[in-house]
Amino acid sequence: MTEPIVTTPLRERATNALGDRLLHEALDIATTRFITLRREAFDDFPEGEQLRDRARAIKEATLQRLDTYLEMLVANVERLGGHVHFAATAEEARDIVLGIARRTGARMAVKSKSMATEEIHLNDALQAIGVTPVETDLGEYIIQLAHERPSHIIAPAIHKTKGQVAELFSRELGRPGLPADPEVLTKIAREELREKFLQADLGITGANFAVADTGTVVLVTNEGNGRMATSLPRVHVAVMGVEKVIPSMTDLAVFLAILAKSATGQKLSVYTTLVQGPRRPGELEGPDEFHLVLLDNGRIAQIGGTLRESLYCLRCGACLNVCPVYRQIGGHAYGYTYPGPIGILLTAMINGPGSVKDLAHASSLCGACAEACPVRIDIPRMLIELRREMDARRIAPWTERVVFKTFARILRSPWLYRVGARIGRIAQRPFVRDGGIRALPFFFGHWTRTRDLPPMSARTFQERWRDL
Amino acid sequence: MTSKAEFLARIRTEMAKTPGLFTAAPAERPAQPRQRLDILRRELSERWPQMLERFRSEFERVAGVFHRAPTVAEVPAALERICRERAVRRVVTWPAEELGVAIAPALGAAGIAVESMPHASVPDTERDRLRGTIAAADLGVTGADLAVAETGTLVLVSAAGRPRSTSLLPPCHVAIFDRAALVESLEQVGLALEAWHDGPAPPERGAVINFITGPSRTADIELTLTRGVHGPKEIHAIFVDGGLARHD
Repeated sequence: MTEPIVTTPLRERATNALGDRLLHEALDIATTRFITLRREAFDDFPEGEQLRDRARAIKEATLQRLDTYLEMLVANVERLGGHVHFAATAEEARDIVLGIARRTGARMAVKSKSMATEEIHLNDALQAIGVTPVETDLGEYIIQLAHERPSHIIAPAIHKTKGQVAELFSRELGRPGLPADPEVLTKIAREELREKFLQADLGITGANFAVADTGTVVLVTNEGNGRMATSLPRVHVAVMGVEKVIPSMTDLAVFLAILAKSATGQKLSVYTTLVQGPRRPGELEGPDEFHLVLLDNGRIAQIGGTLRESLYCLRCGACLNVCPVYRQIGGHAYGYTYPGPIGILLTAMINGPGSVKDLAHASSLCGACAEACPVRIDIPRMLIELRREMDARRIAPWTERVVFKTFARILRSPWLYRVGARIGRIAQRPFVRDGGIRALPFFFGHWTRTRDLPPMSARTFQERWRDL
Repeated sequence: MTSKAEFLARIRTEMAKTPGLFTAAPAERPAQPRQRLDILRRELSERWPQMLERFRSEFERVAGVFHRAPTVAEVPAALERICRERAVRRVVTWPAEELGVAIAPALGAAGIAVESMPHASVPDTERDRLRGTIAAADLGVTGADLAVAETGTLVLVSAAGRPRSTSLLPPCHVAIFDRAALVESLEQVGLALEAWHDGPAPPERGAVINFITGPSRTADIELTLTRGVHGPKEIHAIFVDGGLARHD
């Protein structure tokens, strides 16, 4: 289990986000841009649709023989001189990385963007034992300096303006008066982080894929920080969810053809790095030690669970961009590591369904996410199943359960329905304004706080039918 | 700590709960990838001009700068021009036998300091010095094992004599290649990867294969595209019509 990041209720977080005009503008510009780029990339690529089907089939086929492929991956990584570790929980994963850091006497760790290490809250743990973690993806670096959390899977700092970044760099890096110019700010970050790369003992990364039959860990980045982190420090640790394994290089080619197109609209990200164990004899650079941490943290229980399909996820962020809810409230309001529609499912997977009793409803079920997903994950179906599960487990508030139960009984009986309609027509009178019910008393007020109810009509359909 | 056996046992328990799944298969792999790759290369050799044209346009689309040299003899001059335009003083390069062309003499004569990377293992102190040299260089010269037309991508296999950071740390990267490196698509790259991993790896092979598609970039500040974050700000490709000297 991973502890939740925030304690304020979703409603409050969402309301705050909706009131943040800057955030709203930034989200709108970013998500619109990503949607356009993605569409253009696939328009130019007629075989894309068929490749998405193939990619989906590969993910399913891998899950059906996950034990075999993981064993193969482990054997090959070890054959290449790497070490493999098994973490059932976030805590175990942290302990494994901390153990490696202690044993190798590490003082500083450079990190390439990785959702898995965010998920296990590795940075705080490293800090606690005196290892300085440095995020090296520019977006992650910005939010680390600001002591914040990422707001988008692939654009972690979209909620920050260049003015805010300039101010932040000026203050935190002791370089007063920096201009609000992305070009200058990027150059500053390059200088600062280049130093860190050359000093760091530990390179920590995630993995976009791991190819079982060659023991290859695949990292995809645009900035090159994945390459730096796997070439310069003397120890490399890759942390990955078990579902990231794929069978072969042929499969890898299929995924690479759709991943970047879905994420940023690029044909391919700038750098795709295939790492096969530690530095080999005669090589000038590369780590002396290579460690792969295989992470469960709720994933394995879903192989036979309702969230199985979310194990296909490539973490491309396409479903965030098209989600009407995400576009309004942004990543922070979700409150956990993984935002957006897929994030709700991943949060339920990692922290249990109880953690998403509100979030499960933060979706209009419009289906845009399933449409955008490169591996066609049926997110709405699983959200509905989560809601059903919540109902079965009585996680919903008792008032809601009583109201819906009463309503269901009324609907089942024609007699009750007729009587109910009459009572309702009279009871609603004090609340109807301008042809709508704007506010209801007592706990019913929760419903009308964010939406209007149409009033009951003067005559029901049944009553009109009789007169026809 | 969870052991491998416990971990896999838990996975198998969960897998047993999922009867009646729809049948799904991973991508079909080539049976004899090395032979298949040889056949493909022969087929491709007939349509290299189209591949090259597509590569050029895609490479330029991702902000690469494309050059063409009629024979290996013209390569040093092309490199020297790139260096002169950028006031490059220090160059690191893969050695001549890895590149298939000797560039050090000409660049040296033009007053540029050139350091060729060693082929064999070197002592740790020398390793540190060389890594420092790469980090301080203005420009890095490499070959390319594949040039992918569909995406404008260069594929570089690391090895002794082919350090990874030659194409990473200097602000400018120049890759030299010829028609033998050209393939059409990512699918064909998949075949090449299968072929390279068919049977034991050659002893000099390194631990990393890099796909490079344009200069290092980010859009993390207000979605403004900025180049040269951690890797090079500029990438050049020199295509040699007459072919490079093959060392294998």
